[in-house]
Amino acid sequence: MRKSILALALVFVMSLTPLLASESDDSWLTRSGYYRVSFESALNPIVINTIHVWVFHIRNPDGSPVTGATISVTGGMPLHNHGLPTDPQMTREIGNGDYLVEGVRFHMNGYWELLVTVEVDGKRDTVVVPLDI
Amino acid sequence: MMNKKPNRTGVAVAVIALVTTGWWFIGPRTPATWTEADLALLQSLSIDNLPPLSPDRSNAVADNEIAAHFGHQLFFDTRLSGNGAVSCATCHQPERRFTDGLPKGRGVGLSGRNSRSIVGTAYSPWLYWDGRRDSQWAQALSPLEDPAEHGGNRMQFVRFIGNDPEYRASYEALFGPLPDVSDTNRFPETAAPIADTDASTAWESMAPGDRKQINVVFANIGKSIAAYERRIMPGPSRFDAYVRALLSGNESTAQGILSNEEILGLQLFIDEARCTECHNGPLFTNNEFHNTGILSFPGDLPDRGRINGVRLVREDPFNCLGEFSDDPERACPELTYARSGTELIGATRTPSLRNLGGTAPYSHKGQHDSLASLLDLYNRAPLAMIGHNEVEESLGLSNRELKWLEAFLNSLDAPLATEPEWLSSPP
Repeated sequence: MRKSILALALVFVMSLTPLLASESDDSWLTRSGYYRVSFESALNPIVINTIHVWVFHIRNPDGSPVTGATISVTGGMPLHNHGLPTDPQMTREIGNGDYLVEGVRFHMNGYWELLVTVEVDGKRDTVVVPLDI
Repeated sequence: MMNKKPNRTGVAVAVIALVTTGWWFIGPRTPATWTEADLALLQSLSIDNLPPLSPDRSNAVADNEIAAHFGHQLFFDTRLSGNGAVSCATCHQPERRFTDGLPKGRGVGLSGRNSRSIVGTAYSPWLYWDGRRDSQWAQALSPLEDPAEHGGNRMQFVRFIGNDPEYRASYEALFGPLPDVSDTNRFPETAAPIADTDASTAWESMAPGDRKQINVVFANIGKSIAAYERRIMPGPSRFDAYVRALLSGNESTAQGILSNEEILGLQLFIDEARCTECHNGPLFTNNEFHNTGILSFPGDLPDRGRINGVRLVREDPFNCLGEFSDDPERACPELTYARSGTELIGATRTPSLRNLGGTAPYSHKGQHDSLASLLDLYNRAPLAMIGHNEVEESLGLSNRELKWLEAFLNSLDAPLATEPEWLSSPP
């Protein structure tokens, strides 16, 4: 009996694994659920005090790429009550839902939060992206 | 009246508790062992982690040997001033790690801020306490015309280079022929865009093409001085030797390099005292701007710091995006994506902590005559006089812990990694 309960529990945990994996896939759904946001840093791993570029991937919730978007990135360290040391800007839409954001730099190790705003044809939504540097 | 006998056990316990507590406060302390995370952080602070210097694309002669020698001569030459008595080395003295020992720099007059060291500044995207210049060469130009510092003017400097045969030869070998400035109708004796001066009126009267010719020579003077300054680098300290020994597993060797007090100070530095939030990387600076509640210089209004500096660097015609940069691509990410905002009110640039010995007084106007005084301020975290102190609460360190921190900071002193020939006036 005990064994079968354990087996059932194991099956239950395993069934959750894909859900957990998708959440830890480093993509975030915007607050109103309009867009799914992920990014790649040209500097990998991200180290402090080096200015670099990111590519943001913007998808619809169904996974299709979002084109014609405008992205803005602000943020900071909530525990330190200060913002980013730079003012990153989206400089180019690369295509296929990818957007180049330049001027990213972090000047302290620790916990950062980036506020990413995506706007397409007046439909604006935001998401907080957590980041440990 | 009750005659109570003292309880011997109670007294013994009290004495033991008192001695134990006292011992905790005043007895010798053994540093804890380092964790893997600590070791990674120590490695990030080591000078061995300093990357090779990136080329300065805005300065075509940045790594040119002739330019470095020419810049070396200019750096120590007092003729490059309004009164013939001030050189770059007046405030940036090699024997004081390129500082001057004064609260505020003293040239022709009294400068507005403390003279920062130039050691390792080739790594910094910003120069000055407020970052109002974005390269060593653009920075070198600014004091030359500051009425309180060198007190000269660019027209004077162009004539000076042209009239000195050795300087003219060096200049022309590097940059080509100097412009002919013999016609004083076109090129007045004194001319420069220095606000509210006769030099400015004369400058405005010049033809735009003539002004540009003068600006090009002026920029090249800065680029030559920068080629010299680029060589002034910090050397490995006892701290670096300690980290090297630790990382190679020689714990016992490491113990002989730093004292217990210095190691305890280092442990506070990377942990409880939160110093590495700003003093990070191998130069112990993030080169960013922070308001840490430093009090104003007596009699001065609070310094607006970076909020003004970011405006000034954008306006500077000699900045990375300007026409005098040698980079055809104008690749200037730091300047392009520089941020502004109220957070920068009263914020000044984090200084390196390498080689603090002999560079007192500290802070942007030399408000602190000792490290102990500065550490005490950080420990108390007072409200900022202007803007907002990022350090929001007291660190709560004891006097003893502050002394350990100071001991650690002094372990970062070391001879410069620059050949001695560059550290004095050229022959």
